[in-house]
Amino acid sequence: MATLFRRRRAAATQTERVRERRHEGFLRHANFRWAKISGGLCLLVIISYALIDVSPRPNGGSWYGYTLGTIGALLILWLTALGYRKRRMTSDFWSLKAWTSAHVYLGLSLIVIGTWHTGFQLGWNVHTLAWALMILVILSGLYGVAVYALLPQALSNNREQMTQMQMLEAIRAFDRQLHAAAQPLPPGEAAPVLASLEQDPFAGGIRARLTGRYHNRATAAARAALAEAVGGDAEARAKVVALLTQKEAALARLREHLRLRALLEIWLYVHVPLTFALIAALSAHIISVFFYW
Amino acid sequence: MSFILRRISTTKTGKQIIRDAALPGDTISLGRDSGNAIHVADLAVNPHHATIASADGRTVRVTALEGLGFDLNGRTLDTADIDSAAGAELRFGGHRLTITREGEDIILLVERIDELSHSSKDVDEARAFSLAGTMPGKRVGAWTFAILVLLAFLVGPIWAWHSYRGVDERPQGYHADQAWLSGPLSSAHANLKKDCQACHVEPFVAVTDKACIGCHTGEHKAMSASHAGAPTAMLLAARAPPGLGGKLLEGFANAFNKPQGRCVGCHTEHEGAGPMAATPQAFCADCHTGMAARLAQRGFKAGVADASDFGTDHPDFRPLVRATPGANPVRAAAGTRVLDHDGLKFPHDLHLQTGGGVARMAASFRGQFGFGQKLECENCHRPEADGVRIAPVKMERDCAMCHSLAFETVGGVTRTLRHGEPDQVVADLYAYYRSTPPTRPLQLGGMARRRPGQYAEGQIYNIYFRETALRPSRAQDAVRAVFSKGGACYDCHTIFAPQAGNNWRVMAVHQTPRFLEKGWFDHAAHKETQCADCHTSATGSKAASDLLVPGLAQCRTCHVGGSGARLASAKVETATNSPCAMCHEYHGDGDKPWAPARQRRKNVTAITDGPPRGVYAVREITGLERRDLYDATWRAPVSSPGRGGG
Repeated sequence: MATLFRRRRAAATQTERVRERRHEGFLRHANFRWAKISGGLCLLVIISYALIDVSPRPNGGSWYGYTLGTIGALLILWLTALGYRKRRMTSDFWSLKAWTSAHVYLGLSLIVIGTWHTGFQLGWNVHTLAWALMILVILSGLYGVAVYALLPQALSNNREQMTQMQMLEAIRAFDRQLHAAAQPLPPGEAAPVLASLEQDPFAGGIRARLTGRYHNRATAAARAALAEAVGGDAEARAKVVALLTQKEAALARLREHLRLRALLEIWLYVHVPLTFALIAALSAHIISVFFYW
Repeated sequence: MSFILRRISTTKTGKQIIRDAALPGDTISLGRDSGNAIHVADLAVNPHHATIASADGRTVRVTALEGLGFDLNGRTLDTADIDSAAGAELRFGGHRLTITREGEDIILLVERIDELSHSSKDVDEARAFSLAGTMPGKRVGAWTFAILVLLAFLVGPIWAWHSYRGVDERPQGYHADQAWLSGPLSSAHANLKKDCQACHVEPFVAVTDKACIGCHTGEHKAMSASHAGAPTAMLLAARAPPGLGGKLLEGFANAFNKPQGRCVGCHTEHEGAGPMAATPQAFCADCHTGMAARLAQRGFKAGVADASDFGTDHPDFRPLVRATPGANPVRAAAGTRVLDHDGLKFPHDLHLQTGGGVARMAASFRGQFGFGQKLECENCHRPEADGVRIAPVKMERDCAMCHSLAFETVGGVTRTLRHGEPDQVVADLYAYYRSTPPTRPLQLGGMARRRPGQYAEGQIYNIYFRETALRPSRAQDAVRAVFSKGGACYDCHTIFAPQAGNNWRVMAVHQTPRFLEKGWFDHAAHKETQCADCHTSATGSKAASDLLVPGLAQCRTCHVGGSGARLASAKVETATNSPCAMCHEYHGDGDKPWAPARQRRKNVTAITDGPPRGVYAVREITGLERRDLYDATWRAPVSSPGRGGG
């Protein structure tokens, strides 16, 4: 353990260089220092649980249970503090990367600490609620770590070096061209084009965002309607259809972008609110134990 | 009057340039088609959308042509007459047409007011591209969830507690503090599931014994927290010094006001449904291992020797015995040869012999009194009604089959001496000799002529009548005989001859009902075992003062420690794990140690070496009725077909 923290300045500078070259993320931070600490902690808990014979039976109320419970509760509060820490720019103390690395690995160790604290006695009560919320928070966090590792590549591939606003600007450009090109169309043909123009590219609920499947697709409908239309100004219509097809492609790219971003973000909408629900349940759990002491 | 079309364009610097163009004619057409006088490039406007006309130069009539109307003051109209002096704003698709009047001219101002398309609107990039616009905010979610959880699981339960404060029994139904139930209650307390306050009376105060004895009145109350009659200070002194974990727990308990030595310290609740778990052996061994030294250190004297496990570390039994005839019963010192003088003379060896007079006599009674070929223990010893102990031997019931006290038959009814009442025996014998003549010789009967001389000394008449005259005084001899060697009483009892006003006295008989007072031995639990399997010295015992209660070593041939520990020297046949609570109980209420149903002795016979005698007897043929000490039921088949024989 001591060697994990011992560092010499020269070596540290060298390490920093290596890290920068490798673009070392929070998972690999400091050669998996926090993974090792957290794994050691879990191992310690599991082994000592097996070796220590608490009477009358293992549960949260034994001395071992109190110890694990106290460690777990403090750990939960510290893990929550990441939300505060990440908003603070500091140069001293830990880097945010180190903090995040510790957050991830110590958070994972909480599965062992929290579960072993229960002595595997679960039921339909506030105590198990706190445990279940903790597990949900950890699982959502795990999801977050997984998508942070997997999705940025897909996001980058989809963008093809465009920025978000450039994607939107492309759609705006198609809209302007569509508006001009559709001027000669009779009202019946202009209406679907107008519907396409008036549709919000960011519309759609959370389900559409996450799946990328939108029910009301005005641009596709307009293209289909105009492709089938006959008579009138065929040349103008062909131009509009071509523009609609291009707009559809631009929309598809934007929507894929939105889908990937939604997948990257959605876990925080579980992780953060459930963390506070967990802290509330944890408070109720601790107070209830002392209230009915 | 003329219509003037005004257009306003804005330069990049924000400067507005106004251009007016006069429109010829009284009727102006408006539409998307470029042929219109007012050309509105808006897909929401029809190619020929409307006409604007004025007959009198003041009132302007706007008429929609192709179905799509226009909006005026929030309403969609097809036709509208507008006073140009008052002016109006009309809306065509994304454009606004403002009609005003300047002098004689009617000014028509057309402006695009809506964005060309939805995407053209300004967006907040951070919000639009993230989920922020789609999901309720994280902060909102956090507050909502946290408040909901606090309401349901903190405020609700405290409210439930508060509203039933001081109420004896809560009504049925859901109470919010049930959510705090840390585990199912034991079956005995299951009905308190909804009534947390039955035990948890005050908030932040650990459950007190008062809550327990509120319901557990009577004997429970008396025994609560008492152990071996020891004061609490002694009990606390007996405890082993806690280990690191124990110290931690103790410190925690002290810091948070959780006193030691309460009922719930051992009788833990919320440990799961079903019977409350028996207090484990460790609770006994924690104190009783090396206890004497610890007690001595604190100035207490230990009443019992140290014990940590029955299989390996348990003091010898100290049965309650009378060291000398007539002495008060005291617990024998450990490790000495124990004599128990109960006041009787009874050689067990003689009675249990397979041959000899006793066995012959028993065989002569075969079929009666449950006798077989010889005497068995159960012929004389019987259990108490509850089966736990063996009842004291009763002379009339258990001995008199052979040891008859009969002395006369009157009309077919046998008169016996009164057992247990020596004075009555004496009186009965006196009465007998007073009221009955000696047996009349045959020669005195009949009608034979009586001759002189027949009354001479030595002759039959003389003998008979002399005897008759002396008859009452013979009683004294008979009494002496009965109480002396060879007499009915003397065989079994120690007799004190009459002395200074005392009559014949028999030494009092004390049959100890329970030799092992500290432990609980249950004969019924051992009913499949032969008496002699444990009482091994019975067949060799020549005197009643031999104590036949088995010793520790004998028990250890079956009973091993709570977790199976045993001495290397012990020859264990069928190991039975025997925690402290199998024989001992903490509170000492005089009854058998409590055990949960699933740990109690099952009524099976699997542990015996073989079936008891008589199991193979064919009762239909011999009509043999044997009485066993207990009616043991045999579950396993008693003989296999292969060994059955003809």
